[in-house]
Amino acid sequence: MASVCAWLLGGATLPLMLIGLPILGGLIIWLLKKYYAAQVAAVLVFGLSNVFLCLALYLGGGASVSLPFAGYGFEAKFISGGLSAVLPLFASVVAFLLARYSVTYYRGKKEGGLFLLFFFVSVGFVNGALLSDNLPVMLVFWEGLLISMSALLLIGNLQKPRATIKMLWISGVADLMLMLGVIITIQVAGQSNISAISHLPVSGLGAAGCVLMLLGALGKAGAVPFHSWIPLAAEDAQSPFLALFPAALEKILGIGLAIRIVTQIYDVQPGSPVSTFVMIVGAVTLFIGVAMALIQKDMKRLLSYHAISQVGYMILGVGSALPIGIIGALFHMMNHVLYKSGLFLTAGAIEKRTGTTDLKIVSGLGKLMPVTAACFVVFGLAISGFPGLNGFFSKELIFDAALETNVVYYIVALVGAAMTAISFLKLGGAAFFGKLTLPQGVKHVKEAPVGMALPAIVLALLCVLLGVFNQLAHTFLLQPALGFTESYGGWPESGMLVTLSCVALGVALLDHLYGRKKSGSALQSADHIHYAPGAKQVYALAEAGKLDPYNWLTAVINGFSRVCMQIEKGVSWVYDKGVPGLVRGISSQLHRAANGSLTRYLALAAAGLVCVAIVFLIILL
Amino acid sequence: MSALAVITQLFLALPLLALVVNNLVPRETMRHTTIGMSAGVATAQLLAAIIGFVLLSASGESSFRFALAWDAAKGLGYFRVDLVTLFLLACVGLVSLIANLTAFTTIDDHRSSFTNLLMVMLLGMNGMLIVRDLFSLYVFMEVTGIASFVMIGMYKSTRDLEGAFKYMVLSMLATIFILTGLSLLFIKAGSLSFDLLRPALFEGVVDAKTLLSWVALVLLVSGYAIKSGVVPFHSWLPDAYESADSAVSIMLSGIVTKIAGVYSMLVLVRLFPGNMALRGTLLVLGLLTIITGALLALQQQSFKRIAAYSSVSQMGYILLGFAADTRLGIIAGLLYLLTHALAKTALFTNAAALEKRLGTLNVNEMGGLQAKMPVTAFSSVAALLSIAGVPPLAGFWSKLLVLIALWSAGLRGVAAAALLLSILSGAYFLRLQKKAFFGKLNPRWNSVVEITGGIQVSELLLSIATIAIGLLFPLVLLYLQHAGLV
Repeated sequence: MASVCAWLLGGATLPLMLIGLPILGGLIIWLLKKYYAAQVAAVLVFGLSNVFLCLALYLGGGASVSLPFAGYGFEAKFISGGLSAVLPLFASVVAFLLARYSVTYYRGKKEGGLFLLFFFVSVGFVNGALLSDNLPVMLVFWEGLLISMSALLLIGNLQKPRATIKMLWISGVADLMLMLGVIITIQVAGQSNISAISHLPVSGLGAAGCVLMLLGALGKAGAVPFHSWIPLAAEDAQSPFLALFPAALEKILGIGLAIRIVTQIYDVQPGSPVSTFVMIVGAVTLFIGVAMALIQKDMKRLLSYHAISQVGYMILGVGSALPIGIIGALFHMMNHVLYKSGLFLTAGAIEKRTGTTDLKIVSGLGKLMPVTAACFVVFGLAISGFPGLNGFFSKELIFDAALETNVVYYIVALVGAAMTAISFLKLGGAAFFGKLTLPQGVKHVKEAPVGMALPAIVLALLCVLLGVFNQLAHTFLLQPALGFTESYGGWPESGMLVTLSCVALGVALLDHLYGRKKSGSALQSADHIHYAPGAKQVYALAEAGKLDPYNWLTAVINGFSRVCMQIEKGVSWVYDKGVPGLVRGISSQLHRAANGSLTRYLALAAAGLVCVAIVFLIILL
Repeated sequence: MSALAVITQLFLALPLLALVVNNLVPRETMRHTTIGMSAGVATAQLLAAIIGFVLLSASGESSFRFALAWDAAKGLGYFRVDLVTLFLLACVGLVSLIANLTAFTTIDDHRSSFTNLLMVMLLGMNGMLIVRDLFSLYVFMEVTGIASFVMIGMYKSTRDLEGAFKYMVLSMLATIFILTGLSLLFIKAGSLSFDLLRPALFEGVVDAKTLLSWVALVLLVSGYAIKSGVVPFHSWLPDAYESADSAVSIMLSGIVTKIAGVYSMLVLVRLFPGNMALRGTLLVLGLLTIITGALLALQQQSFKRIAAYSSVSQMGYILLGFAADTRLGIIAGLLYLLTHALAKTALFTNAAALEKRLGTLNVNEMGGLQAKMPVTAFSSVAALLSIAGVPPLAGFWSKLLVLIALWSAGLRGVAAAALLLSILSGAYFLRLQKKAFFGKLNPRWNSVVEITGGIQVSELLLSIATIAIGLLFPLVLLYLQHAGLV
């Protein structure tokens, strides 16, 4: 027994088990789809074993295994340690909670088995992508994730796969950029092992590689302009998918890789052009996301826009290339995963009980679903950056980094924070604390089932824990992950920043009260911003999809393909009608000329003689 | 007397002997054996030519001179064979053999006359191939021609005498051209012997005699072009082929136009190498022939006329090979001649089979015949693919060699054009196959059965030869490579 444990924890096999075990688990859970209790048990077994293996990896201080492919001079190398020890552990905990939630959510629905299969396959791929040390091997898992992700998005949407198609297009472009970036990086570094690449210069080819890789990584995380599939998915997909992918795994992968690029692979300096570029992307993402979230009337759509907006903070932190920004980004990413997944879980609870998340149809559920409401309050306060909760601490770190770089970024971030608070005041007020309205035909709404409520409670507790004891997070997760010796934990150093953040929250509350009074309901409390002069027109355009780069590109591609089709038609005409028509025409003329008259034959022969003579003359003279 | 001396005697002696025997023995007695005898002569010639080729090739000599038996004893040598003519003599034997196999079935009346005429024709062609001067060449050409007119007229199939008549009138025109040309050439050179005609005739000071010899060349080329049925001198050819019995068509298309016309052209090319005007004319005539022949073939309704126009079209490739004016070009042209003879002979035996079984040659009335006549359909498809130049059949390799010869002679544009134009041959043959053999069976032919006898044997023989030569062609390429030609 001891030897088995030693073998398991020996390090060499662990990374491979982390990839294989979840996939095996997914298959078993899929086969058990008819038996709910057995499925729950299997989720517990495989979810927890994944957590424990990751924990072993984390506590074991890292591991390395390389699988050479004989004869090809190529090896698949997996390394754990630092970021690639902390992130799998974190991901495994979240994935376990979401899996437990999903089993109950999909109870009695026939697509549940397939959903959990691809859920666990995704977990295995994420482990692979986080642990692989070769850039190409990482790409394999990264792309594999695209498959499981589109499968998950297709489940339940087979008749209407528009979100899947959009996701494949957008992620495909982002992944292509990543791929190009990887190729260039390997070219510049002369090898493909991440652990052996260190601080490549960001100039010439290296700059292109760095920017392309960053675009790929941030595109995965959902940065503008790679974001627009997420709101569409929010309309079509179920909450567990949204909690798993846009809220959790994509952020872990994307921000994790971006941090690696900035801190290890490339030598990105604060204030450098690449840093500025990334920070602009972050600020734009932050602002567009939150501005769009403000006007949403559907809970899932609103949350999906926040999933975009929050990425903006992380990108700001990563892009600053300052230690405080990077650690803030990592912390904020983790916090975001906790509360945004939690928020989608509460949305899922409402969806499960009432069949919709449209706040015009369903609202004021606080008394009927008190536990869900309580969890929502915690998550909402956390995402708004309420002092004492986890979101507050990570946001303050990013504010610090933004202010240190340029005050413009700070102002955008602060305004974003205020708008986040406004939209969550509106969301909470409408969903849980207003007048009770239920969809037609729904009479009795109960609290969410235990299997769904418990994961949300755990996530809420984690939010509080990482807030109140944020020093623990710094000591045990963030510093080991980044290898920093200096601690950025504890209460923020700058009193001014805290004060300004509190002022922003206060302004948000006042605005909410004003809007509520003006419009008479919580749901319409942001309408005065929505329909403000100037903003109204922009919002109308945005809601109509006129500002979506995806739609522009689709229009361009459609135009291009129409042009190609015309060309193709022309070419086909030449082949199908033109050339055969010409041949047939000439040959029927010749045929008519050869009418069997002997005089004509003789004349032709005489003409032939003249022809030969002419050819002779032409050549001789 | 060497073995070669014995063999070369056969080319004239065998047909003459067969003529004598055929006419001494009473006709009724000969009726059943006469075609067998002529087939025997053809086979003997085929074997003799092959053995002679091997012997001459082994001896390392470029040519072998001989004379009629009694003159040879005096040491005269007014005839000669070389590898090219021996190769062509073998082709003559082969095609005559196939024609005889077909004639067993198709020729009913005047069987002895068929043998007589065929022997005269053979004599004419063999004579053309062994003589050593342009005038004798012309004489034997006329011998061949006269036998052809009579044969077309005597064994007419679907039409009246029109085809024979047109051929005769056009041949007369050719005679005028050729005789005038020969006399003009004689003025300058003082002789028509191959030994004395040199490219130098056209060089040096330009005087009246040189100009006349240029005119002579124009006339000769035109005359030979009529004989070979090259566009625009081709108009007699489809009428003649269509009028004639299939056995006669096989002779005409498979070998007569090739020996009477194309071989004469080859003689000119070999006598005057490096003559740019001659070369250019052959190129122009070749391309024109390929295009026009193929376009006209697309419009025809009769199986035989399609095959006839295809013959016209394919003649162009042989001319292009000669126009390259290199040893490789000549070899390519000759190999093309052989593979085309095999395929085209196969198509005319198919025509004989169809005419025998269906009573019509109109392709529009056919359809789906592959179910009823599988051997005919197969050999026809094999012949089509070979002519269209589909690997690995024989026609592909010879076409490839022609293209290589053109390319290496610097005529790259012509090579590309020739390659593109071969699509046209695919087009008319696909049309033919689709209408005749593929698709749904026309209910009219529900009771049709496959052809038997000599025709089936020759169909099978020719298909096997086409496929086998195609598969073994790399050996030919190795030989050519060994000789440093490819």
